[in-house]
Amino acid sequence: MSYTIETIGLTHYYSKGTVQQVAAINDVNLKIEKGELVGIIGHTGSGKSTLISHFNGLLKPDSGKVLVDGVDIWKDKETLKKSRFKVGLCFQYPEYQLFEETVYKDIAFGPKNMKLSEAEIKERVMRAAAFTGVKAEHLGKSPFDLSGGEKRRVAIAGVMSMEPEVLIFDEPAAGLDPRGRNALINLIKDYRKQTGSTVIIVSHSMEDIAEMADRVIVMNNSSVAMQGSVDEVYSRGDELRAMGLNVPEITEIFAKLRAKGLDVPQNVYTVEQGAAILRKLLERGSAK
Amino acid sequence: MSEKIIEFENVTFAYETEEEDAPVQFPALTDVSLTINKGEFVAVLGHNGSGKSTLAKLCNAILEPTKGKVTVKGIVPDTEEKADEVRRIVGMVFQNPDNQIVATIVEDDVAFGPENLGIEPAQIRKRVDDALKSVNMYEFRHREPHKLSGGQKQRVAIAGVIAMQTECIVLDEPTAMLDPKGREEVMQTVKRLNKEMGITVVLVTHFMDEAVQADRVVVVDGGRIVMNGKPREIFSNVEKLRSFGLDVPQSTELCHVLGIKEGVLDVDECVDEIARLAGGAL
Repeated sequence: MSYTIETIGLTHYYSKGTVQQVAAINDVNLKIEKGELVGIIGHTGSGKSTLISHFNGLLKPDSGKVLVDGVDIWKDKETLKKSRFKVGLCFQYPEYQLFEETVYKDIAFGPKNMKLSEAEIKERVMRAAAFTGVKAEHLGKSPFDLSGGEKRRVAIAGVMSMEPEVLIFDEPAAGLDPRGRNALINLIKDYRKQTGSTVIIVSHSMEDIAEMADRVIVMNNSSVAMQGSVDEVYSRGDELRAMGLNVPEITEIFAKLRAKGLDVPQNVYTVEQGAAILRKLLERGSAK
Repeated sequence: MSEKIIEFENVTFAYETEEEDAPVQFPALTDVSLTINKGEFVAVLGHNGSGKSTLAKLCNAILEPTKGKVTVKGIVPDTEEKADEVRRIVGMVFQNPDNQIVATIVEDDVAFGPENLGIEPAQIRKRVDDALKSVNMYEFRHREPHKLSGGQKQRVAIAGVIAMQTECIVLDEPTAMLDPKGREEVMQTVKRLNKEMGITVVLVTHFMDEAVQADRVVVVDGGRIVMNGKPREIFSNVEKLRSFGLDVPQSTELCHVLGIKEGVLDVDECVDEIARLAGGAL
């Protein structure tokens, strides 16, 4: 069986061949299965962005391999091109990369490059626009006339319209207000539910990752420091803090309650989950 | 009676765009009155497009009110000279650290502002050293800014403002692009400058856990100030904040949904409250 994405000994250097040569990622071995929602966390400079830039061949490994559906993406030109359509990458602050005259053209840019028929392109643009909540009356407008939040939806629609097997988001909620953040998290969850696509999310927000991910990969010092379920990774709070990360506030609350001798679990990552546990505990307390 | 440093009196600000020949005005702020006192740490909250960044830019004369008046230490910046004077009193730090660094060496970047003020070299040297020490970046003074982390770059940007000997710093979402450690570094720095050096701080943010650390929280919605009070008062109104597209810290939310206490601000308060109530369950 092949994985949707697999890296074998993946290594990339910056300033290669100079005295300043440093490994941006070093011997990374990962397997990502079809349909998974994987969160990648790590402090700035830990290698997260370099890693995902290899997943669709934006960067070429200095050593090691990237396999998409079991095929080395650097095997030949044709494979590389195909894998760029298979793996869609939505960068941080993607709204700064809009460039077309109209919103429609911006969303259609990817499908056009895929040499699809006009009818198919139109269908895809409409589907992606509807899904991301881009209003029909905005399609003929210049993307630069939209608000920041609307622009981000257009940019995301532009990646979704390629209907990639794997969709990667680099810090999708950065700079959004709480309402925008929640809307985006729901959008990503719905997208995955409806399409069954593999989704990879790079984020600094431990809360966002806890809410979405099936599996978490932690990058530190250019290597994979931990990987596992949210439970497995978030239970190692001290190690995460040592890597410049943290755990969600709710997780910290439960850790401190345990330290005070309360019989509560430590694997609590959302307020909803925490409130349900405490409700029971407090009822029991008042019944005594 | 505390001394005022920034005062907004019935301030309206409208952006103007040209559409089909006739200029169209989009009001970003409407009839805002607000006083910031010397030495205060004020957090400004609001969803994207609420007008909070416009409010920040009016504080140091980057923008000029369409109607009403902004006064900084008694100065109304209605001429270029007076606007410069205001900018020496109120410094500004923006969201993206990469857009506000101008030099290729950290200490040159911090010296940029004072040099423009025409201050003598020996004095500049001292200001730069002091400013870098105050943000804990002195040991990085010979480094290249682009090789620093986001949190370090933001602290260099803050040092650049401190070196101008500004009395007030306005920060517009300074931590939005930073990782948890970077955010923590910037918040510690901002709080220290406020407490130890008495610098007035206006912090525009989307992070509720940052806002709870302020002396006062101002909520902007639809270009108007809709809430203004101590963090505990503000965060006691979970539903109201939500109606403005905002959120509350998880500690606040937990105590709120359990119905045990309103206005809880941080993890320790939350833990104490739950532990007290759960006493019977121990």
